[in-house]
Amino acid sequence: MIVISILDLLGYRFFQNALLGGVIAAAACAAVGLFLILKKEAMIGDGIAHTAFGGIALGLLLGINPLLGALGVSVLAVLAISYMRRRSIAPSDSAIAVMLALGFSFGLIVISVVRGFNVELFSYLFGSILTIDEVDLLFVSLLGVVVLLFLGFFRRELLAMVFDEDDSRIMGVPTNALSIAFDLLVAATIVLSIKVIGTVLVVALLVLPGLSSLQLNLSFRKTILTAVGFSITSTMLGILFSAAFDVATSGVIVLVAVLLFLLTITYKKLQ
Amino acid sequence: MSKETPILELQNVDVARSGELVIQNANFTIQTGDYVGLVGPNGGGKTTLILSLLNFLPRAKGTIRLFGINIDKFSAWEKVAYISQTATSFDNKFPLTVRELVSLGRIKKGNVARRFTSEDWQAVEDSITFMGLADVAHKRIGQLSGGQKQRVFVAKALARNPEIIFLDEPIVGVDAATQEKFFKKLSDLNTERETTILLVTHDLTSVFCRMSKVMCVNRQVEVAEITEDLDPNAFLKRAYGEHFHFVFHRHECRGVFKNDSH
Repeated sequence: MIVISILDLLGYRFFQNALLGGVIAAAACAAVGLFLILKKEAMIGDGIAHTAFGGIALGLLLGINPLLGALGVSVLAVLAISYMRRRSIAPSDSAIAVMLALGFSFGLIVISVVRGFNVELFSYLFGSILTIDEVDLLFVSLLGVVVLLFLGFFRRELLAMVFDEDDSRIMGVPTNALSIAFDLLVAATIVLSIKVIGTVLVVALLVLPGLSSLQLNLSFRKTILTAVGFSITSTMLGILFSAAFDVATSGVIVLVAVLLFLLTITYKKLQ
Repeated sequence: MSKETPILELQNVDVARSGELVIQNANFTIQTGDYVGLVGPNGGGKTTLILSLLNFLPRAKGTIRLFGINIDKFSAWEKVAYISQTATSFDNKFPLTVRELVSLGRIKKGNVARRFTSEDWQAVEDSITFMGLADVAHKRIGQLSGGQKQRVFVAKALARNPEIIFLDEPIVGVDAATQEKFFKKLSDLNTERETTILLVTHDLTSVFCRMSKVMCVNRQVEVAEITEDLDPNAFLKRAYGEHFHFVFHRHECRGVFKNDSH
């Protein structure tokens, strides 16, 4: 019965769009997220995601695509955090806290002034991949391609920087530029995931797949590929289950990701 | 570069950190193929000196020439490798295999994001084999012993085929026998590949038995060629102070370095 309904769903354009958008977001989140975990900066993901809320509200207010608003505000937030860190105005976690609060409170003010788009806002907070339209899909795909290409080209330099920043700088890695580029990549990844999982839970997709694959003690190459695999699996199952049983997609995605995490921990313990 | 051109040359170099003069008026030259032991009391400025030789710290005064070129205009950094004091104290859970870490040594300045060629991978394999790590090349770096970790970082440095290597005492926390084997490997590197080596160490016996020059750093920098005529004790007293006493008998070297085949 369920199998039939899933096969039926696969024939629908909206469902195909959802799956494609989901795969792109899942892959980008897992790959970027692994570097964030290794940098011990996973919370920048959560901070930027909450800041993006302000951008979404701004987009709705100005009548532009809310994802574009989110991208603009996220990029500004990342640059501000990076600036505060480099100028020793605030350490990383405090800088993130400041931008998170600023972005979120800005969003709150906008929605309290302009009432009426609360329903739409809700879909950005918690994701609504099944309603992704072609314009959003194009936007997500473009950002996803940029993120994955960047990681593909600069993976060694990023890895060297994350492993030992000073040493990589001496070896010739342009660490300042690469750090900023990577932070921008984090912003792009979060924005492209908003439709899939929403700003509240995006940190789960950034962190859980990488954490799970790290339990398996693999090489870097296999660790990142496994993380992407876990992430895509969680997202696919989330989309399928939510479509079949009409439950919240983002909730199911996170639950599956947590389940995979528990499985990898158990596997590690049994070894 | 002709043999006569020093690989490294310092003239009247002062280096200050946080406003305090750490290295004062350093003048010395290092020739291609030298194996230099950098010694001196803790806090004497050994790490500061190395970092300024890598142009990683600004100089207050003076000129440094690498391969005959003023360091401010020097660009051939792929000829230089550096292993930091903290290199081996990484997070043991970091997901990198020996081969992957060594391959990072092929990253080049001004040529980021390039694809690795078969030449790159050959250099990686050669370095792994040279450092005796072929059996553990597939292992995660966190699974290695202290001695293997040291050798992995040298292999990473070697992967770029450097002409000069700076090692800032990456030998903390290993036993004497392991340390001796490590020095032996560096000797091989120095004799077989003519790689110039500058090694920070507290193992004075190894310096006077193995190396061609000794550099003593305690704000002032003194360099001496290690010959039969050099009195190690008198030389070291100049930096460590009059209370310092180092007993050294050249005949001990044969015993200590029994593993040496040549």
